[in-house]
Formats: sequence, structure tokens, C-alpha cells
Amino acid sequence: MKKFAIPVLLAVLPLAAQEIKMPVNLDKLAAKASEVVDISLDGPLLQLAGRFLSDKDPDEAHVKRLVGGLKGIYVKSFEFEDRNEYKDSDVEELRTQLKAPGWARIVNTRSKRNGDNSEIYLKTDAGQISGLAIIVAEPRELTIVSIVGPIRPEDIRDLGGHFGIPKLDDNPARKDKDKKEENQ
Amino acid sequence: MMDDLEKQIKEALAKKEPSPFFEARVLGAVKRQQKEHRASSRLWWASAMAAMLLAITGSVWQHERNVREEAAGKEAKARLELALKITSVKLQRISRKVEGI
Repeated sequence: MKKFAIPVLLAVLPLAAQEIKMPVNLDKLAAKASEVVDISLDGPLLQLAGRFLSDKDPDEAHVKRLVGGLKGIYVKSFEFEDRNEYKDSDVEELRTQLKAPGWARIVNTRSKRNGDNSEIYLKTDAGQISGLAIIVAEPRELTIVSIVGPIRPEDIRDLGGHFGIPKLDDNPARKDKDKKEENQ
Repeated sequence: MMDDLEKQIKEALAKKEPSPFFEARVLGAVKRQQKEHRASSRLWWASAMAAMLLAITGSVWQHERNVREEAAGKEAKARLELALKITSVKLQRISRKVEGI
């Protein structure tokens, strides 16, 4: 019994830490993608990264506080040369996991014109945020983010303009230009 | 009475031949002492060298560990920066879409 229980426990532990399991079929998309970003930062790695963030630099100190209580950050992003290189069903397994108790979809934007679909999910435990998941499905790009721990979406959004993260222009003229570029 | 005392003193101060192996025993004792001194000196040097070697090895191991940890830390920081960059940009875009609706 022990022989069986230990491997099962070892297999389940990383899943518990990651909270949501990245579907295996996403790895198959890597073969089709022209660019792949696969970042997996568990608790100890986040702590290690935190030790190399300066307390003197205000931006780094802010990020250090932000990630200090996190247990994991997992990002998968695929860029494709052509449209429709991935199917909606590739993400469906993930969406099913995000229907579990505790998770709630707080944002869902869908553009038929551009074929974009963005979703933000929050996990709460006893009224406290304990996880964040983002799915951004664009015709040529699929991005999935899973953050385990207490974090608000706006905390990360507002990092734009700091810590080397670009801040998207709020200028309406620029927005129109972005939209035109997105449509092309 | 005086004669007896004088006789006894004379006998006590009389030159006596050493026992046949006296010289050999003295030389043996000196040699043994020299040997022990050399052995103890060698042991001291060996201990000092071992301690020095241990200190150098420890210091090199610690340095290599620090270098490895620094490299891993910088790598983790770079990955964190990229993860936050991707997430922040996506959230900014979603935020703009929501505001634009």
C-alpha cells in the first residue's frame, strides 16, 4: 500500500501547488507554434527570484512585496504563423478545471470581428483571493497564465510602466491604431 | 670515627666506571627523543596542512555554491520579469477592452 501511496502523493503534490493543471495537449501546440514561452516558477523559485530583487529600487521592492506571498506563477504563451492553428477544445480542459468550486470568471470579453476571447478567473478561499487565471485566445496567439496565491489582477496590470514592463498607451488615437493593427 | 667518615667520602667520590651498556642506553634515549620529536613535528605539519586544505576546499565549495545560486537567482528573476511582463500586458489589453465596451 505504501509503495503505491508514495508515488501517487508525489504526483499529486505539484498539482496541488499549481492549483490548476496545464493540459497536456497544450504541449503539443508548442510543435505548431512559431514562438513559445513556457515559464514555471514554483514557491522556492519565486523566493529565490525575490532574493535578487533590490529593496532600494522602488519598482523592484514593489514587485518583491507583490510576489512575496505567492506560491507559483505559470505562463504558457504560443504564437502561430497562421490563424486557427489551435482549437477552442485545446483550452476546454482548462476551462473545465476553472469551473471547480472557488473559481469565478470575473471578466469575459469576446470579439467576433477580431476572433479574440479573453477571460479572467479568480479563486477565493474564505473571502480572500488565492488564485488568478487568465486565458487570452487570439487568432494567432494563445496565452494562459496561472498565479497561485493572493494577487489581484489590477496589481499586475498596474505594473505597466514599471519594472521594464511596457505601459499600453491610453490615448484613444493610439487605441484606434492598435485596433487597426490587430485587425490586419 | 673521623677515619670512617673520610673513608666513606672517599668511596663516594671515587671514580666509578659506568655500566657496560650505559652509553648505548643514553644514545638510544636521545635517538628515541629525536624520533618522537620528528614524529610529533610531522603530525603537527600534517594536521596544519589538512586543516588548510579543508579550509581551501570549503572556501572553493562555498564560492562555487554562491556562483551557482547567483546564476539560478538571476535566471529566476529574468523568468519572473518575463512572466509579469506577459501577464501585465495581457491584463492591460483586457482592461482597455472592458473600458471600451
